[in-house]
Amino acid sequence: MTSEFPVPTSISEIPASVPAPMSEPSEPEPSESELKEPGSNSIAETDFGRAVEATGGATTRAPEMGAVPQVRFRSEGGKLLLLLPPEKQITTPATAWSDLWQQLKQRLNSGERFWQPNTVVYLIAHDRLLDGRQLQAIADTLTEAKLSLRRIYTSRRQTAVAAATNGFSVEQQIPIAHLMPEAVGSALAEPLYVETTVRSGVEIRHPGSVIVLGDVNPGSSIVADGDVVIWGALRGVAQAGAAGNARCVIMALRLDPTQIRIADFVARPPETPPHQYYPEVAYVTAEGIRIISAAEFSKDRLWMPE
Amino acid sequence: MSRIIVVTSGKGGVGKTTTTANLGMALAQRGHKVAVVDADFGLRNLDLLLGLENRIVYTAVEVLAGECRLDQALVRDKRQPNLALLPAAQNRTKDAVTPDQMKKLVGALTKAFHFVLIDCPAGIEMGFQNAIAPAREAIVVTTPEVAAVRDADRVVGLLEANDVKRMYLIINRLKPSMVEQDMMMSVKDVQDILAIPLLGVVPDDERVVVSTNRGEPLVLGADAQSKAATAFENIVRRLEGEKVPFLDLNPPQEDFFSRVRRFLQGRKS
Repeated sequence: MTSEFPVPTSISEIPASVPAPMSEPSEPEPSESELKEPGSNSIAETDFGRAVEATGGATTRAPEMGAVPQVRFRSEGGKLLLLLPPEKQITTPATAWSDLWQQLKQRLNSGERFWQPNTVVYLIAHDRLLDGRQLQAIADTLTEAKLSLRRIYTSRRQTAVAAATNGFSVEQQIPIAHLMPEAVGSALAEPLYVETTVRSGVEIRHPGSVIVLGDVNPGSSIVADGDVVIWGALRGVAQAGAAGNARCVIMALRLDPTQIRIADFVARPPETPPHQYYPEVAYVTAEGIRIISAAEFSKDRLWMPE
Repeated sequence: MSRIIVVTSGKGGVGKTTTTANLGMALAQRGHKVAVVDADFGLRNLDLLLGLENRIVYTAVEVLAGECRLDQALVRDKRQPNLALLPAAQNRTKDAVTPDQMKKLVGALTKAFHFVLIDCPAGIEMGFQNAIAPAREAIVVTTPEVAAVRDADRVVGLLEANDVKRMYLIINRLKPSMVEQDMMMSVKDVQDILAIPLLGVVPDDERVVVSTNRGEPLVLGADAQSKAATAFENIVRRLEGEKVPFLDLNPPQEDFFSRVRRFLQGRKS
């Protein structure tokens, strides 16, 4: 797998930062390299839990383009805001709607526990173009999940007209500044809590931490600007600190990922899987990504010189 | 209330059509009125497996176009009068029908049949969307291979998103001896990932190929005593709600010499 990449013999040869977004094929691939356990030249069991083939290569933040649009719910003052991604993140309109639709279903299926029946929903459509049929579909789906769509906020005239003709209460203009403090070097969003099995083909992106109650299967990916916490098995791709924060961690009850990324670092699991899995935490040290048993993690972090 | 079940897998060649044919036949043998619907427009196979190819006059497309009545297109099986096939058009593509039309067709079938089994095409495009649109339950077929399981996982996600919430898993073509030697994913490995209720495990069996070529479902022919046929019959009983213990698929205990041979081979490698 690494044949096309230079394999540095010492850590110092690892490039500090090579821009390599993961969803942009035109850009160079992340340079991968095998990292050794600190103080030894071979990959072996050490104090760091199990042996990890970590790679200190680099990814910079993947641009949002080409990524699956992310539908989000946020609660505010007892209401639920349904946030649609802005139009500019979309590639083609046809796939955009079906992606959006699937995302909405997944979000509804995975968070049901967190709202009472008949919670009021405000749809924040941004500049997204929605026709009457699509608005009705969203409303029906929300009704099925025992939520009630009360009002639609949009900055597109067409969407506003479509909403009004379908009998929804609309607010055009951009009145949502107080509801949507737009990110200007902002703090992380509140954690996203999903209760579902994240299956192949699903991508969860969130500008904060992501907590998954369930398994993350191969073929799926989780991209979080904060930490990734998985109460289940991590078998897919996980990226923590996607905005560049190398102090973010990835933790899972069973860490068996396709690949993990933290900030600018990439690591893949060793060729030979361990005989037994236990809860583990992946974090970044000066030498790249390290994995340690969850039980040891806090202890170790305490006397780690930062 | 009749049951509408789609048989799907994502990946091709894992045994969707074989499963549909055998389950349809086994259900019919147990006295249910069964319609099997081929949703694989342009690449239909279900008629071959059932041996009904030469009796097709009209297809679903003609029914939808109003060129014939639904019961004219239905091909009744002579060997098993409880079973009927609604064939797909071979000269069309998946875009020839829409999800709404499929819903209408299947809706009409439920008036006369207890079970409607829909044979889904491979892939997750239009043909898949058409096939799952009318379904209320789904049988996900996979083989114990990484690629098949990965695709099955994707399909489970899509089914969930499309409100087909009742799903069952069939693991097809398992080779117990390979599993034992840790060369093939085990039932548990597959279940760990897919996490949906297991409906049955069908062992790999050469006789399936023979029955497929002959157009005679395994559960019907002379091989009805084979383990694969028994597995299909058990699946049908589980579909009916009966609790049936899983077949013991472990290979017969090997004799002393082959055990020694394997031990020595293991040492060499």
